[in-house]
Parts: sequence; C-alpha cells; structure tokens
Amino acid sequence: MEHKRIAILLACIWTIVAILPLFFGSTNFIMHILIMCLIWSVVASCWDLIMGFAGIFSFGQVAFFVIGAYSSAIVSARFGIPPVFAVFIAGGIAAVFGVLVGLPCLKLKGAYIALVTFAVHMILEPVLKGDIGRALGTGGSRGILTIAPMNIFGYTFSSSNPVPYFYLILLVAIICSAIIFLVIKSHWGTAFLALKDSEEFATCLGVSAFKYKLMVFALTSFLTGMIGGFYAHYVSMLSTRMLGIDLFVTLMVILVIGGVGKFPGAIVGAFITIALNEMLSPIGAYRPIILGAMVVVLVLVLPDGIVGLVEKIFSKKKHRFTH
Amino acid sequence: MLIEIIDVLISGLINGSVYALMAVGLTLIYGVSKAFNFAYGSFYSMGGYIAFLLFGTALINHYLLVFCLAIPLLLLFGFFIEKLLVAPLRKRDDWEIKVMMITLGLALFLDNSFQVVFGSRMKSLPPLLEGTFEAGEFILPYQDVAIFILSIGGILLFRWFLNNTRTGMSVRAVAQNPAGAQIVGIPKEFVFAATFAISTVMVGMGGILLAQKYFITPTGGWDILVKAWVITAFGGMGSIKGSLYAAFIVGLLEAFVGWYFGMTWTLIALFAVLLTTLAVRPQGLMGKWG
Repeated sequence: MEHKRIAILLACIWTIVAILPLFFGSTNFIMHILIMCLIWSVVASCWDLIMGFAGIFSFGQVAFFVIGAYSSAIVSARFGIPPVFAVFIAGGIAAVFGVLVGLPCLKLKGAYIALVTFAVHMILEPVLKGDIGRALGTGGSRGILTIAPMNIFGYTFSSSNPVPYFYLILLVAIICSAIIFLVIKSHWGTAFLALKDSEEFATCLGVSAFKYKLMVFALTSFLTGMIGGFYAHYVSMLSTRMLGIDLFVTLMVILVIGGVGKFPGAIVGAFITIALNEMLSPIGAYRPIILGAMVVVLVLVLPDGIVGLVEKIFSKKKHRFTH
Repeated sequence: MLIEIIDVLISGLINGSVYALMAVGLTLIYGVSKAFNFAYGSFYSMGGYIAFLLFGTALINHYLLVFCLAIPLLLLFGFFIEKLLVAPLRKRDDWEIKVMMITLGLALFLDNSFQVVFGSRMKSLPPLLEGTFEAGEFILPYQDVAIFILSIGGILLFRWFLNNTRTGMSVRAVAQNPAGAQIVGIPKEFVFAATFAISTVMVGMGGILLAQKYFITPTGGWDILVKAWVITAFGGMGSIKGSLYAAFIVGLLEAFVGWYFGMTWTLIALFAVLLTTLAVRPQGLMGKWG
C-alpha cells in the first residue's frame, strides 16, 4: 500500500477512535473494551511489522507482552519506581529478551524461527510459575494480585474512571503506530522488503540482514513489552493464564481479519476482534470454538483481510474506468 | 539406586519410541510439502479420544479392534483436512504462514470441541496388556514392552512403505523435487494429502499409545506438539533417521532431567538442547537446508 494512503487511514482511524468516548464515556464496560482494543491493536501492529513486513515468523509476541507486563509490575513493586517509568524499563527488558531470542533466529529460516519463538512462549509459563519466577516475585501459579495503578505527576488513573486512561493509552497507541509507520516508510521498510523477497540478493546489495533483523526484534519487543506494562497497571493483576493458547489465537484472528502485512489493518482487526470476542463471551465454552472456526474460514475466504478486500474492490473499479 | 536408574532409562526409551513415531510424522509433512501443522498436538489428543470413545461402546473391548477402526478414521480425517484447508492455500505466495495460521485456528477449534464434548476432566485408557515382568526388584509392565514394539513397528512399517510401495516412492520423489515429480506424472496433490493423512495416523497412534500411561486432556496436545517439533528440528527437518535418533535422545533426556531435577525443568532442558543444537548446527543433526 502507498505510504500516503496508510497515513490517511491511520489519521481516520485514530480520529474516529478519539471521539468514541463522547458516546460511550459514561459506560465503564464499553470503555474497558475500548482500552483493551487499543492495547491489542499495538501488540498486533508490532506482530504485523515483524511478520508481515520483515517476514520473520515470530510467534513470541504474547511472550514479550507477558514479559513486559510482569517486569513492569515487579519493577514498580520491588524498587518503588513510579509506573510511568516502570513501563519503559519493562519495554527495555522485553527488548533485551527480544534481541536474545532474535540472535539464534538470525541463522534460521521459516518454520525454525517459528519453533524457537513459540518455544519461548511455551517455556515462559513453567518459568514464571516455578522457583525462578517465585524468586523474582511473579507469585508462582497464583500470579501478581496487586499492581500499583498508573500515576502521572500525582494524578492517579483508576479503573473506576476509565476515560482518562483511555486517552493515555490512545496517545501511546498513536505514538506506537506512528513509529511503525515511520519504520515502514523509511529505508528500514525498503530493507525489510528486499530481505523478505530475496535475502541473498539483498545482502549482496549491502543490506545487512543481521542489523535489520535484530533491530526489528528489538523494536517490536520493546513496544510490545511497554504496552504490556500499561496493561498490567490497568488491570492491576497478572497470572500465567495470559499464556494460554486462547489469547494467542485471538491475536492471530486480529491479524487475519486485518490482513498480514497490510499495516493499519491490524488496528482495524483489533477493534473488530476484541469487540466480537466480548459479544461472544456470554456463550462461554463455545466462544473459543467459534474463534478457532473463524480463523479457519477467514484464512480461506478472506486471505488478505478486510484491508486487502477493500484494496481489491478499489483496484477493480480503477481497472473498469481505464478501459 | 541402580534399579531406579534402569527404571528411568526404560521410561525414557519407551517415551522416546512413541515420540519417534510422532516426530517422524511431523518431519514427513514438512519434508514433503513444506507445510507446518500447528494442529498436530490436537490430532494427538484426538487419537486418544477416538480410542476412548470406541472403548465406551460396549461392543469393542480389544485394542486390535480399536486400531482397526481408529487408523482408517484418522487417515480419512487427515486426508480431508489437507484437501479442504491446506490445499486451497498452496497456490498463494505467502502460503507457509497462512497454513500455520489455519492449523492454529483448527487446533483451537478441536481442543475446545474436546473440552465441550468430553469435559475438562482427564480420561484414561485401559492398558494394552495386563501383567508385569518381574526379576527381583526390577519390574517391567508388559504394557510398556507392547508400546515400544508397536511404535518401533510402526516406524519400520512406514520405512518399508516409503522404500517398497509405489505410493511410498512417489512420496519420496515429491519430497526431492516436486516439479520433477509432477512432470513424470506423479499426482502431487494426492501425495501431499496422503502424507498429511499418514502423519495424522502416526500422531493419533501416538496418542492412543501414550494415553494408557498418561492421560488424555483437551489441551494436552500442546506439550506433544512442542516436543515433536523440538525433536524434528533437533534431528533435522525432513530427515527421518535424524528424528529417530533425536527422539530417543529427547526421551532419555526428559526422563533423567525429570527424575533428577523435577518435571518443571524438562521443558527448559529441551529448549536449552534445541537452542544449542541450532546455534552449532542450524540444520539439526542430520537435516539438509531447504
């Protein structure tokens, strides 16, 4: 997609989202869902950047999110660091993990990368629940039950009044999407495209696969970890249940609906999926079944997501006019 | 102490043999069609649940009958899943990631369907053979011997199939050169579906065999997926011999680490082994790139 069109789409999406509290601001439940939409839109956009644009099959995005959430909670509780700074430290910790995971992945291809990153996801649960985790302060299988709420310059964001926190997360989400947009637009994005199409050829032209792949691992895990910190200080409790396959597939549904490698698509996908997920929650145990079936059907019917579908319709129309 | 070590060794070997059967199935799909199946673990649980259902009907009370019914069922299931879900994606450029996504969705669908149908409580299967072999303090259940023989037998049968039957040879041809195989008239699409079906049978059988020693739970397959995956990568994706060796190494490692350090460490140990192997030999023990 053209960069200009991405920018226009982003501006439209964020303007619409920004005025939503005018209608729903009084209903805490809907505001809560909207905050979740924003948080997952950041995670999904990061995943889209690493998987759709850089072509690295990273399956560790939820793991980085959880690492960020736990780090932020532990750092703020143990060292008394205000949550505003703790979230950035959490992003830093997640980025270090991202680089550590990225290093072995540089030598690997396709499904191997998926294996290593997914293994990080699978291994995180026993680590957080086990002795190592308990020594760090993860609370073992009970999880962390009290996390300080976000607090900026003496103003405390409480979950009973979600509108201010909504705007804070919106600001973070806008900054994150702007960073991702700039990365796609800059020579980074071109380098990713070149590396994805043919790594041998790109490296021959002097594009350093090492540098760009590590950078994208560091950047996406930093943003994911940071938003994980914001999540932790919002919900104020954490457990390893987040590492269940349910959330992982929800994130995947977001990407499938939005379209892989169709950047603002992930944001649209997040709003549709999370809202749908909440609507489906009364049916309880059948919800994940429907979610799973939805992935299967959507991948077959709508392989490029909603954005891809819209693009197809527009390009067909253009075609008709020129003939 | 010595008896204990022998016990751990045997349990490692038996788990290793079943892991080998399942890892060979995973490496088969990857080696032939380059597709990665995320629902592999769910197929494992499905094998266990099919056997559980068959035992539930009053008519069936012998494993021979269970195998006779479960194998064709799994074969058909795998074949149609490939034809319906994986084959339509194959003509796209980014089909690899799309296959991962669709099988992940399928896994969530199957796992939660099991949860709704069978409930989240653990299910167990009756032992394959009753009785134990005893020599002093040393005790070996016949069931373990039967599991070992069946899984090794399954791998040997598969090897014979690959080397000696027409379908088996066409599977090998497609694995080596898909375009060339198609030119000489091998039905590529059929071979892809057939390998998927065979791998489904292998992992389903693994489910039936291991469910006697452990339990069947709706989400128990994820552990198996990761293990089979680690074994395949460790042995080299697409190399059957490699995954055979790797499966026994992993089975033994798991048994000894679990015995010495505790069960929570097994996954961490597996991961450490995997990362070290991939750092030193990215293609795995016996794999080739590509």
